[in-house]
Amino acid sequence: MFGTATERQHASPPRRADELVDITLPDHEGRVVRLGDLWRDRPAVLVWLRHYG
Amino acid sequence: MQLHRDRASFAEAGARLVLIGQATPPHAAHFRRTQGIDLPVLADAERLTYKAAGAKVATMDELLGPLVVAKGVMAIAKHGVFQGRTIGDFAQLGGAMIIDIDGTIIWSHMSEDASDIASAVHILAALQSNRLSAPARPGPAVDGV
Repeated sequence: MFGTATERQHASPPRRADELVDITLPDHEGRVVRLGDLWRDRPAVLVWLRHYG
Repeated sequence: MQLHRDRASFAEAGARLVLIGQATPPHAAHFRRTQGIDLPVLADAERLTYKAAGAKVATMDELLGPLVVAKGVMAIAKHGVFQGRTIGDFAQLGGAMIIDIDGTIIWSHMSEDASDIASAVHILAALQSNRLSAPARPGPAVDGV
C-alpha cells in the first residue's frame, strides 16, 4: 500500500562511497553533477530528503 | 530549514553540504524557493543514490505507527525538522552521510523510520568529532554546488 515495504528492512549504509561516486544527477537548475566530484577536494555531507515540500 | 541556517558551520568545518531529493529539477527548484534555502539540491527521481546509500523503504507501521508519530512530533519540537509535501515515493526514507575525500564514509545516519531524522546538530557534531583528511580550503568549483 502506497509503496510501503511488506517486511521490515534495515538501513544498510556502505563503508565506502564506491557505488555513489560515478552516479550523475541533475541539480535544481538541471546541471548534471557527478557525485564523486562533491568530495574530490573536501569532505561532503550528503543529506537524502524524504520529501521535497 | 535548520541545515540551511547552519550552512556556515558546515563550511567552517570544511565540508560541502548537498541535499538530494527524490523528484525532478523543477521540484528541487520549487523546494529551494519555498524553503528559502540556497543550498544545492540534486534531483534523484529514480532514487539511484537512495539505493546506493542503503536507505530503506518503510513499512506502514514505520511511517504512521503511534510511536513513530509521537517521535516525529518530538523531533519537530526539538529540532524544527518537519515533514514537507509528499513528492516521490511515500515510503522512501532518507538519511545523511559524511564522505571523506578518499571515498570513505566516516559517518552515516540512515533513517530506520519516518521519525528517525538526522538533525543538523547531530551531523555537525559528527563532522567535528571525526578527523577529516581534507583541510578546510577552497578547491576547484563544482558547477552548481
